[in-house]
Amino acid sequence: MKKVVRLPQNWSIKTIVTIAIAVVSISFTLIIAAILYSEFSSTIKENATVSTREIVRQVNANLNYYINDIVTISGYARDLSKQTNELGKEQIEDKLTAILESRQDIVSLVLFDLEGRPLITTSDAPFRSPEEIVNQQWFSRAIGGEGNFYFTGPHVQQLSTSAYPWVITYSQQISYATDNGELKQGLLLIDMNFSAVSELCKTAKLGSTGYVYFIDNNGKIVYHPLQQLINSNILNEDLEAVNEHIFGTFINTFEGRERLVIIDTVNNARWRIVGVAFMDELMSGLNQFTTVMMVILLLCIAITIIIARTVSSWISRPIKELEHLMLSVEKRSFAAPPTVSGNQEVAALSQSFAIMVLRIRQLMDDIVKSQELKRKFELDALQAKINPHFLYNTLDSVVWMAEQNDTEGVIRMITALARLFRISISKGHDIITLSEELEHVRNYLIIQQTRYQDKFEYSITIEEDMKDLPTIKLIAQPIVENAIYHGIKYLQEMGHIDISVYRRKPGAVVVEIRDNGVGMNEETLSNILSFSANHPSNGNGIGVRNVHQRVQLYYGSDFGLEISSELDEGTLVRIVIPEGTPIHPIKVVKK
Amino acid sequence: MTLTLFLGCTKRNEVENPYRIAVITMMQGGEFWGTLKNGARNARSETGTVLEFLAPINESDYEGQITCVQQAIDQKFDAMVLSPSHTTYLSPIVEKAQSKGIKIVLADTNLETSRGDFSITADYHQIGVEMAEHAFSLFNEEDPIKALVIGSLPNSTSMTKMVEGLVLAFGNRSNAQIGYATYSFTDESIAKKITKTTLEQDPKVNVVFALEENTAHGVVNALPQGKDFKIIAFGTTQYEVQLLEQEVIDALVVVNTFNMGYRSVKAAIDLLNGRKPIEKMIDHALVTKDTMFSEQNQRLLFQTLE
Repeated sequence: MKKVVRLPQNWSIKTIVTIAIAVVSISFTLIIAAILYSEFSSTIKENATVSTREIVRQVNANLNYYINDIVTISGYARDLSKQTNELGKEQIEDKLTAILESRQDIVSLVLFDLEGRPLITTSDAPFRSPEEIVNQQWFSRAIGGEGNFYFTGPHVQQLSTSAYPWVITYSQQISYATDNGELKQGLLLIDMNFSAVSELCKTAKLGSTGYVYFIDNNGKIVYHPLQQLINSNILNEDLEAVNEHIFGTFINTFEGRERLVIIDTVNNARWRIVGVAFMDELMSGLNQFTTVMMVILLLCIAITIIIARTVSSWISRPIKELEHLMLSVEKRSFAAPPTVSGNQEVAALSQSFAIMVLRIRQLMDDIVKSQELKRKFELDALQAKINPHFLYNTLDSVVWMAEQNDTEGVIRMITALARLFRISISKGHDIITLSEELEHVRNYLIIQQTRYQDKFEYSITIEEDMKDLPTIKLIAQPIVENAIYHGIKYLQEMGHIDISVYRRKPGAVVVEIRDNGVGMNEETLSNILSFSANHPSNGNGIGVRNVHQRVQLYYGSDFGLEISSELDEGTLVRIVIPEGTPIHPIKVVKK
Repeated sequence: MTLTLFLGCTKRNEVENPYRIAVITMMQGGEFWGTLKNGARNARSETGTVLEFLAPINESDYEGQITCVQQAIDQKFDAMVLSPSHTTYLSPIVEKAQSKGIKIVLADTNLETSRGDFSITADYHQIGVEMAEHAFSLFNEEDPIKALVIGSLPNSTSMTKMVEGLVLAFGNRSNAQIGYATYSFTDESIAKKITKTTLEQDPKVNVVFALEENTAHGVVNALPQGKDFKIIAFGTTQYEVQLLEQEVIDALVVVNTFNMGYRSVKAAIDLLNGRKPIEKMIDHALVTKDTMFSEQNQRLLFQTLE
């Protein structure tokens, strides 16, 4: 089954971008660091190997000089030993002693015959018996071929019984001249102490504790700078691996430490030189590098994370801003959104959004306008409703008065009608002053009083300071009309219509129209009070409802009509409107 | 970086502030102790430790050795390598040193009650057994053997262990006995006198075990001419080696004293660094004239390279 790692879907863009950048850069950094590390470590290793090999080669060269030196001395001794009849034994010994005295490293130089008897010697000590001499390794190994020389590694020399020096022995079969000039085979011995070889080894600094040592062709140690420790079994040398490799460079682990071993052959001596360097010392530069690298790596990672955060917030900031904008729009704030600056895509998005919001606002404005328009149409329609049959009745009355030759009555009627219409029209204004409104009602009452002869009386009272307060027009007249048609008309006695205007706290103006008409029963009253539109019945209340709707349309639901009525007692209607700031009456040019 | 600094602080900087170790042998001179000190010096040059060698003039000067230990305590050494010349006398002062936080490495000999913080020694019991067995090999099976055993200090563990080994081996052979067992207190003349009188008094004695180098010198000097004695000796002095070559001494027992000195100092440093030193017996060999120049044995016989 293949497993797909799913990232959580609800992460923010910032987080995703941060993680993406961080992961990519950190992996790159790590990869580069790993490559650098491996390159550097292999370079260090290579350099260490090269320099170690160079040191070993140098020691080898020095050793070569030294061996050549010894060979030269042996050659000199060889030459001298052929001149025994000319120089004499003592003189030869003196010459050789002189050479030895100039050198720290050569302990003794002796020429033996093949039976082990010393012939020429620089040593004063009494020799062991010839048998003992012959049986020693350095002697026996050199016998057999003239010319070949042998070095015998650290051993306790057994030339005399009075001293047991540790030496390295050079032995070579040579021919010498006897006193009578006869050439015979003998064995030349040169014993060296460790001073010269140890000096050679000391010059080789391989790391801080690395060293160089020599082994012979049998794989035995000829000299080791830590010979003392080897002798007392404290130090072991990995001769097995060295003998296995014979020549070249290898790295192995011996006694818990990784070591670089370089083996080189030594000319002339059939020795091999072995350089041992400890990897941990050679690679100590690597540790330093590793530390520095780790610090840099951590810094890089820290910087990467900071950059990742910065970049991600730079990318996500415009998106966030846009999101805030959208949220505020969601909360119905349609103030023109500033376009969000940022990267191309977000800028484009924000521009589109701005255009969209603008468009929505335009549409909303359009809706508001059309709503207002609609209201105005409704208002106009309601206002328009008043006129036709009243005009017909009035004109009918005028016709009737004209027939009666009641000129005065006609004039009064027509004048009132004219004023009525002037205020009705009021130059197309919806808002007029209270005094104009009351003037309108007065004219209407004048006309109706004329029509209903002595049927009712009326009074209109308004404080002087309220006359200029604004009101929507034609609100009192429908109420009065209603009072006349449904209240006063049916009365036997004289009707009264009292109109008064007063203030009601806080900030309301009440136009109160009281009549003493027949009143309404509760059902009718509640019907009217419910102001439900679908209630034609006998037409009673249409005007009232009309006024109420207009007041509410214009001033809001806090305002409107209050009606109270009692059968045979009369009806009280209060038109409640807000108190506005005084306005000027509409200027009407009077004739 | 802070971590490495912190780690650096926990471990003593041995380069700038090297450990001081007192090496207290049984006496000042002697081939045995000289080689041991050589080994110690070798460890010093490898580690940079500061060494100070303290010892009384005579091995039997127990009080002198106690004074040396006290001196080391007073001078606030970090550790001591000590070869106690007495198994019990030295105990209190060693415990005192330990109570002051000084690490004690016992080299060669031990204390009866304490092993110090570490002890490095050779298998002296086994050496005793091998000495006896080698002596037996020098005789025919039916030959009666009567031995004179001369040790150096009666209360040093190396001596008691060797004597134990000898006694054990002699117990296993029917016609062999240790006729006399005595101590020279590392005094050549006492050894000589003992040997002389014993051999004069008891002509049956035909083998002498000299368990210490000075004792061996005394024994050899006391030998009457022309009589066939077997001498098995302990030590690596040039004189002893020459006597071995001359077949005066039949066998020499050699302990890798250089190794002992080297490892004692290393062990002290290990202890100071909180590491556990390696537990290993010091190697030894029984060398005869025939085997003395073998690669292995010449390294033991001639321990100091010059």
